[in-house]
Amino acid sequence: MKFLITLAWKNLSRYRRRTMITAAALAVGLLFFIFLDGWLQGAERESERNIIWYESGSAKVMTDEYLEDLKSMPLKYAIQDPAAVEQALEGAGVTTTRRTVFAGEIFYGEGSLFVKVVAVDPQTDEKIYRLSETVAEGRYLESGDQGVLLGEWLAQDLGIEVGEEITIRTRTRYGAFQTLDLIVVGVLNTPNPVVNKGTAFIPLDLADEALEMEGAVTELTLYFPEWRDPEAKIQSLRERLSVLPGITVESWKDLSRDFLMIAQAKSAGSSVLLILVFIIAAVGISNTMLMAVYERVREIGMMRAMGMKDGAIRVAFLFEAGGIGLIGAVIGVGLGVIANWLMVRWGIDMSTLMGHMDIGYRVAGVFRSAWHPQAIAGGFVFGVIAAMLFSIIPSSRALKMQITDCLRYE
Amino acid sequence: MIRVENVTKDYTVGQTVVHALRGVSLSIEKGEFMSIAGPSGSGKTTLLNLIGCLDKATSGEIYIVGEAVSSKNKKELALLRRQRLGFVFQSFNLIPVLSAYENVSFALSLLGTNGSEIKERTHGILEEVGLKGMETRLPGELSGGQQQRVAVARALIKEPDLVLADEPTANLDSDTGREILDLMVDLNKKHGTTFVFSTHDQMVMDYARRLVRLHDGEITSDERRGS
Repeated sequence: MKFLITLAWKNLSRYRRRTMITAAALAVGLLFFIFLDGWLQGAERESERNIIWYESGSAKVMTDEYLEDLKSMPLKYAIQDPAAVEQALEGAGVTTTRRTVFAGEIFYGEGSLFVKVVAVDPQTDEKIYRLSETVAEGRYLESGDQGVLLGEWLAQDLGIEVGEEITIRTRTRYGAFQTLDLIVVGVLNTPNPVVNKGTAFIPLDLADEALEMEGAVTELTLYFPEWRDPEAKIQSLRERLSVLPGITVESWKDLSRDFLMIAQAKSAGSSVLLILVFIIAAVGISNTMLMAVYERVREIGMMRAMGMKDGAIRVAFLFEAGGIGLIGAVIGVGLGVIANWLMVRWGIDMSTLMGHMDIGYRVAGVFRSAWHPQAIAGGFVFGVIAAMLFSIIPSSRALKMQITDCLRYE
Repeated sequence: MIRVENVTKDYTVGQTVVHALRGVSLSIEKGEFMSIAGPSGSGKTTLLNLIGCLDKATSGEIYIVGEAVSSKNKKELALLRRQRLGFVFQSFNLIPVLSAYENVSFALSLLGTNGSEIKERTHGILEEVGLKGMETRLPGELSGGQQQRVAVARALIKEPDLVLADEPTANLDSDTGREILDLMVDLNKKHGTTFVFSTHDQMVMDYARRLVRLHDGEITSDERRGS
């Protein structure tokens, strides 16, 4: 075995340039893999966090009817008695806040725009959401305000500035038209493009009165620390809420299916790209091993003549290809880790490139990568093993030749 | 020690069947220094390959130290070659990335010999073939004669029953060829190792104590000489 390793290592250094070029192909493949995977991981994790902090909390309690017709945001299906829900959830290890979400049309100047209006309780909303930390201009909402907070992109699209007045037209809980004349008290610049792009926030007490809610709200947002894997928690919460007919709870994962599907689709697309990168590396390694084998057919013949088993010769080539894989993997992982570290530390500001574009991820501005040790380790192992596998066919071909033909081979 | 019984070997080249050996029989005793001679195409290399278990006869049987080779599978033949046979090739066939020492010790590594014994025997045989002090040189740093000495050392280090040498002087000038032959004669006398050459070089034939001539795949003469 020691001899086979020595032989493989010496053969690698025999054609140093070829070895390094082939290893470089694999290294570039791994670099791309680690970079891309880290980036996707970062975008995904940041998106998840931004969904929790700015969009849906860990879960939402709603009526069955409201959930079924979620896109229309029908106020008539609001939770009549939110206090009863809060009572049922007492001691469940969740933080709650009340919200009423409805569709509205903002009129400003000669234009109008349909938006999602979220009425929040300024006292309790901060326990779950982080909107108050993202006020870019003006101030956060206060109870009793006749004011509105707008997402930055929305404000820009409408050309509205803090202090100006807008009108929101909507329907009350009973279907009557209602118009709200509101002062823009602040502009939010959240890292969640969905919030930035099409959401307006008003105080809950204002909505309660203007929309004839009479204490009803469309949802209770919940926060619990187990949000990453919410299934078990949701199950226990559903059991608690079973005393309240028609009330249900949905996790952020169920409420953000669009994001999860896009993230999965992008991951699948990236996997295809990664496979292509590895095919390129595979072709390089196969080609190198093919050359290595055919240059050494006579050597192979001599070793077989001396009684070396075909399996041992195959192992020698496996080690040699594994050596290329190891060099490529070390360089690729090294460069990948450096690239990933730069991306974790500083990221890339995509705001100029993407503008107000929504690409599905809940990330705006700076895209940062995340560490994904399993992918890095997996890439390393895969690189070495794949390189070894690519040597099997060329060496097997040479071993199929008669020993006498090998010895005569020119 | 070696018995070749009525061996034939046919090759098919395109539509044509070439009869490389036509019923060859001979026996080789331990310690012989024998040359198989003949013109190109006479079948000498084919016969050497069959005795060396590198190829299979079309018919007939070859016995090596009493063992019939035709019934052996690939692995058994590899084991037989590893334990009992040594090879010296016309173009040396050394592994270019390994030093003289490593090329020679490789043969013992295959036998699973332990490290200290490998070291001792490799240094010993290299000294014997006149390569002391050149152990670390790569084949490319050695002359043709020195490379063939390495090949001889590689063949002999495992103390085989038989060393087969296919045109061992063909790639050497006559002086170097003579040196190699002298070395082989010495080793034959000293260790009692059996040597069988294939050649069409008169000098090699002159060195042989037994000369078997082949023509068109048949033995035409088998001449034994005094040492």
